[in-house]
Amino acid sequence: MTQYAKFFVILAAVLILLSACKGPVESTQLIVDTDACTGCGECVEVFPYGSIEVIDGDAVIDPSLCHFCYRCVEQCPEGAIY
Amino acid sequence: MIRKTFSLLLLPALVFAVSLDGWMDVQTGGDSLSPEPGRLELGGMLRSENWTLILEEQYSHEDSSGIVPRILNTYSQTDIDLIVHVGPVTINPDLCWTVDLGDKPELVLPVQAGVAYREGFIRPGLSLEANLFEVGHLFVKGLYWNRDLRQDDDSDLAWTETRISAGQSYEVSGFTISMSGLYHKTNSDFIDYESAWGRLDIALSTVPQSLPANMFINGDVTYSFYDGSDFNDHDIADRLTSRVRLVQMIIPSVSVNTTFESVIDFDDGVTRSACTSAESRILYHFMRSREVPSVITLSGKLSTSSIRTERAVLFSRINFYRGLSILLNAEARCTPTMVAGASATRKRIIFGPGLEYQLGTTLRVWGIIEQERTDLEEVEVWWRVRTGLEFYPGSLSL
Repeated sequence: MTQYAKFFVILAAVLILLSACKGPVESTQLIVDTDACTGCGECVEVFPYGSIEVIDGDAVIDPSLCHFCYRCVEQCPEGAIY
Repeated sequence: MIRKTFSLLLLPALVFAVSLDGWMDVQTGGDSLSPEPGRLELGGMLRSENWTLILEEQYSHEDSSGIVPRILNTYSQTDIDLIVHVGPVTINPDLCWTVDLGDKPELVLPVQAGVAYREGFIRPGLSLEANLFEVGHLFVKGLYWNRDLRQDDDSDLAWTETRISAGQSYEVSGFTISMSGLYHKTNSDFIDYESAWGRLDIALSTVPQSLPANMFINGDVTYSFYDGSDFNDHDIADRLTSRVRLVQMIIPSVSVNTTFESVIDFDDGVTRSACTSAESRILYHFMRSREVPSVITLSGKLSTSSIRTERAVLFSRINFYRGLSILLNAEARCTPTMVAGASATRKRIIFGPGLEYQLGTTLRVWGIIEQERTDLEEVEVWWRVRTGLEFYPGSLSL
């Protein structure tokens, strides 16, 4: 059980850090989970503002051009953008 | 003299054996919403002791009638990569270009400059990496896009982008400390648009070594200082990203992989939680002695930011005769949707069986029939067929 205890201590520390933050849950940038992204390019193919590019096998979002239309979130087959 | 110099340059390549690899990946399918999607990837790699040359060609064709309208329907992309190792230094020049073959894919331009039509881009790049004394790593990478964007009257927007990144990392007592910077500039003289943003990342990651057997933990924390504005001309917030991953083998055939991620934004003195996500995956491997090992994967992921996404997946591959396996895929997802008239969240369930044949590492052929139920303005149900072929004939020594 020791290993699980260590993990949950780390998890609890992160949660405490989170709870210390105030304000609404609001993202200023979308996140790409690079572990889940397969670089298939589906997000690039549906995005109308030209701010997503697949670089070195991962989708990369340009935060200055993203309009939060969420098309890439809806289309990504791996659920890697959120 | 020139011939002599050229011969000296070629000599190292001739001294070492050269091998040739090639591969092919084809995927196609069809359903009532997006008929005839297809993707073909062809690749080749020439490799010697200290250099590698990779050529990849991709052709993609899709109909534009999916739920999320496609901007790029039919295009081809070519990528040429040369990787040269000189002692501890790796030099990687790269050239990639795309040609859009569909019906005038539209790009919505910034600063309300209307739309333009994409005809492709060319992207040269160069990266340099170096390992220092087995504990340090340096990299510099530059990319330049020249996009062929044209307006209705065929005027060229002269759209270019430059992306430069550099960084270094050191491993000290089980910790990896890294610092990297990124600068991205977009420019279009025709519509008088210029935008630049930059980021400085300071990251700390660790993989504890003194853990119980069959356990792996990886944790990393990154603070990103941003300089630049978003499309609303609002400053991009600084961001603290923390991620913890635990992999635990419970018994030799069952492992659990759990990831927790927290993102906090620091925006003009306001600190707020930008995203929290958690994912867990259970893998059960069995019948490992057969030609193709069988596996059942059950995973779930939840993320909450300004949007909420949920995903649960059950995937299984059960080998029943030589390279033949039965596939089963079931997925439930919730995402935001851009479909007008639909509720804010799109719920969908995808379920279907399939068949796969693997011939060692040479060939993999698969087909899957699935049903999708999507909650849009009304619940829509349709069937879809997806097939694929991956071919890797092996390495040939020249």
